[in-house]
Amino acid sequence: MTKFLFDLDGTITKQETLPLIAKAFGVEAIEGLTKETIAGNVPFVESFIRRVHLLKDLPVDEVSCLLGTVEIYPLLATFIRAHKEACGIVTGNLSCWIGLLVQKLGCACYASEAVVENQRIQKLSAILRKENVVQQLKEEGHRVIFIGDGNNDVEAMRIADRSIAAALTHSPAAGVLSVADYLVLNEVALCRQLHQLL
Amino acid sequence: MQAVTSVVISCAGIGSRLGLGMTKALIDIHGKSMIQRQLEMFESVEDIRVVVGFGSAKVIEEVRKYRSDAVFVFNHEYFTTKTGYSYYLGARDGNALALEYDGDLLVHPEDMERLLRMEGEWIAYADKASEDAVYVQVDAAGNVLGFSREDGDFEWTGPCCMKKEHVKPLAGNVYSQLEPYLPMKGIKIRAYDIDTYADYQHVLEVVKDW
Repeated sequence: MTKFLFDLDGTITKQETLPLIAKAFGVEAIEGLTKETIAGNVPFVESFIRRVHLLKDLPVDEVSCLLGTVEIYPLLATFIRAHKEACGIVTGNLSCWIGLLVQKLGCACYASEAVVENQRIQKLSAILRKENVVQQLKEEGHRVIFIGDGNNDVEAMRIADRSIAAALTHSPAAGVLSVADYLVLNEVALCRQLHQLL
Repeated sequence: MQAVTSVVISCAGIGSRLGLGMTKALIDIHGKSMIQRQLEMFESVEDIRVVVGFGSAKVIEEVRKYRSDAVFVFNHEYFTTKTGYSYYLGARDGNALALEYDGDLLVHPEDMERLLRMEGEWIAYADKASEDAVYVQVDAAGNVLGFSREDGDFEWTGPCCMKKEHVKPLAGNVYSQLEPYLPMKGIKIRAYDIDTYADYQHVLEVVKDW
């Protein structure tokens, strides 16, 4: 079976979610860190740990509600809903934050995990390595298509059967362009290519 | 045009023989870049696939002005492969038929309209004009029988159109992709490719009348 794995932030959503959380709850210093991370100047894992630390005292249910309202690309959402068995979200983001958002799409989700008590994050328990998801699905015999834009997508895109750099929200990282098979600039092109790969 | 045809425009090359220091898609022909002229001809085509390699960022920037819905296909091996490989990369995940169009080629727009209405697989060729050409041998009906570096009835310019499963991962030229399927339906068009500076100057003259 062909499996389509999508990065979440900036690929399916029209904006990055961590800066959105930071802005809504008045936490500073996230946006700059996110930009530096996308540009590849701060390693993803380190950046993610630092960003989660800055946001860990926010009520998890309120963050999840907020992210449930984040705008997603409509044609892409329609494709995912129509092929939910074939699609999956692969994100470094925390599963406790993105639950409502992913529910709207109805497909599988692979995310980072945190220990939550009384609606507060106690600690990070697992940070997703996207390439492990690709590897696992390939070993199960699937043909894997990966769609992403950031530095933490590069290794997954390198080992996927096909990889699509998505420049829907911002320019993909240079590392992404150096391994991608395709580049699309809008969701019309992306969805046409996804249909062709079905 | 058949709804199931993708157009693959190969713009991955270095353009070293031309000597203008830029990939040929970006050279100026009377105020319009090559790729702009090509995209205008393919305005009615839904699936445009631009194969990029050398100078990809500038080609993408130029295409984006006219067709932000194009799919860009990376030929990361552009230094060691030729247009036949770019054709393969562009065709493999596209529609059932893939029209191959070299980024250094200018076809008369009327002839291109005619080609877009053709069905199935075909090869287009032109009167001999280039300095460094590959030739085609044709039969009385204009069908293509063979390619030659030495001599032939016409110059092989492209474009061509093939079923995507016929386009293989070969490192060579597009005509190597076509040879196993000869004879093929042929059609004569007005077309010029730009390999050298002399070709470029010739095209500047010819296009004035288009």
